[in-house]
Amino acid sequence: MFEAIGGYTPLITSFLVLFAIYLIMALSLNLEYGYSGIPNFGHVFFMSVGAYVSGNLTARILYKLSGSTVDFCSGQAASVRTAYASQHPGLSIALFILSLVIGAIVGGAFGYIGSYPGLRLKESFLAITLIFIGEIGRIIARNEKGLACGLTGLTGIANPFCWIDNVNLRSILYTIVVLSMAAATFIYVQKLSQSPFGRLLKAMGDDDLAAKVLGKRIPRAREAVMVIGSALAAIAGVLRTFYIQGVVADDFIPLITFTVLSMVILGGVANNLGVLLGTLVMTMIDHFLSPSFLSTIGFRVEFDITYVKYVITGLIMIFMLMVRPEGIIPEKPVKTPLLDISSSEEWEVEEELKL
Amino acid sequence: MTLDLSVPLMNSLTLGCMYTLMALGLTMSYSVTKISNFAHGELVTLGGYITALSVNRGINLPISLVLAFIASALLAVAIDELVYKPLIKKGSRPLFLLVASIGAGLVVRYLMFIYADLRGVITIQARTSVEIIARIGRAALTTVHLWVFPITAVSVALLHLMFHHTKPGKALRAMADNEDLARVSGIRVYVLRRLMWVVAGGITGVAGGLWAVYSIVTPQTGWEALLRVFASSIIGGFVSFWGTIVGGITIGLAENIGISIMNEYFNVSTAYRPLISFVVIVLVFLFRPSGVAGIDVIGWIKEKMGRGE
Repeated sequence: MFEAIGGYTPLITSFLVLFAIYLIMALSLNLEYGYSGIPNFGHVFFMSVGAYVSGNLTARILYKLSGSTVDFCSGQAASVRTAYASQHPGLSIALFILSLVIGAIVGGAFGYIGSYPGLRLKESFLAITLIFIGEIGRIIARNEKGLACGLTGLTGIANPFCWIDNVNLRSILYTIVVLSMAAATFIYVQKLSQSPFGRLLKAMGDDDLAAKVLGKRIPRAREAVMVIGSALAAIAGVLRTFYIQGVVADDFIPLITFTVLSMVILGGVANNLGVLLGTLVMTMIDHFLSPSFLSTIGFRVEFDITYVKYVITGLIMIFMLMVRPEGIIPEKPVKTPLLDISSSEEWEVEEELKL
Repeated sequence: MTLDLSVPLMNSLTLGCMYTLMALGLTMSYSVTKISNFAHGELVTLGGYITALSVNRGINLPISLVLAFIASALLAVAIDELVYKPLIKKGSRPLFLLVASIGAGLVVRYLMFIYADLRGVITIQARTSVEIIARIGRAALTTVHLWVFPITAVSVALLHLMFHHTKPGKALRAMADNEDLARVSGIRVYVLRRLMWVVAGGITGVAGGLWAVYSIVTPQTGWEALLRVFASSIIGGFVSFWGTIVGGITIGLAENIGISIMNEYFNVSTAYRPLISFVVIVLVFLFRPSGVAGIDVIGWIKEKMGRGE
């Protein structure tokens, strides 16, 4: 079965993995930016936290176990690590799960730290500060050899399925794992946003003073949403690390946050289904405008085609804000299962009052 | 070996002046429109490219800088007319304007990337003859500095004159204070905004032009400088020009002298240079969001000398 679609497998799986990782990022940013009104434009930093944690954890444990004596950052050590992991299936899967758990915890902890400015600054200044915090993290990581081997990056982080010989089967299995993680995130975020906590977030995003007056503990809610959003972003970072089997500090530039932001704005602010759609569209643009894809269909231009992608991203952001700030699928009223407002009498009274 | 600070000091002043020039436009546009303009860096890049391209065609530097002024002013006005003004008229939140400015910045930056890639000028520098005029310690005073220092001084002086002694300047300050009140007082808000964007964009373009003489320009230059430019404005409290100068020079000093001292005594890698300004901003934001604005130095000195009230 795998041989039949073998030729297209890398194309399909790489698209799906990219989509799933972007989806987790976009959903968590939507939780912060869309629902709660916290402009966490340093979102990519929390993704990078997950990447560094999982990269170091996996690579260092494999390095110790394989007992190699060459330099930790060298390519030789990386291939030794991968070879060792491919002989120990249980170990590679265990490392993957461990990375997910610890990555999420550390990401959440950093989100808690990030909520310190988040509680004290108004929106534009907060956005600038968080972008700066992300850049500080990137500069430290690219200069600190211990974190991700500096500029060269840390490689040899074995994929959890690297013990399977069939390359296509391996990538299909990993794609399924990543997609199910994304689906779980979607369900979780959807449930969360329809819970009382989600309504509190929404109230906070609309008017935090009013929510405060109603006796809601806004600082606590802001902290909580930053922790949840950052933990989810860290999970996306972990999944990305195991997919490309490496961590490079310079991958985590603010541009990624902006791409994710454009997904949220395009699809629908504070609407998870909309974010799903926005992510799908933007990932398609991202994927099909990449030089590697275009060269397979024989399309060539004189300049680097990735530039076009960012021009489109920028245009979409501006266009959506001007024409349809609520996104393709606008926000819908939250459905609460226990209380059906539309049939109650109070609702009718309100309707009459409006007239 | 003792630490020789003459070279870092010279670099600090040069870079400080250039960051100041870039930040003046940002301070102006923020105080008048309350937009955190993330497309500001692109004005620097455009100015740099225009200057470098025209100097390399054989046009002399002053005319090239004027061209840079015009080009960046046009870009600033165009972004305002096409993006910010419609959004403001729709009553968008400041955060939406910030996001729109990020989008506008992306569009302009990557269009410049496409142009630069097609023409093969991804990195470019204005080919001017740089002569050493004097030596201070190991540092050299070159013709570049003869452009940078006077232009900064003159721009600041002119802006000060404009904002404090002319009618449009006073009206702009009124707008910065309270736009609605300014409007009902008969100030033509949108005409003045356009004037402000011309001045802010133009000065930023000239700063980019000077950057092209001093160092290389890539389409990424403006974005890379932007964070430092924000830092300068933020230290200045986003409102005053004098504060912006203090901010720009502070960032220049911190990134050159600061890193030299830390490198010498604490063995910190010079690659951490940008870190200083970023940390400075985060700290300023968290602990003194108004920056240096409102610090009454003269009053403080008087108090200490016992002549206060």
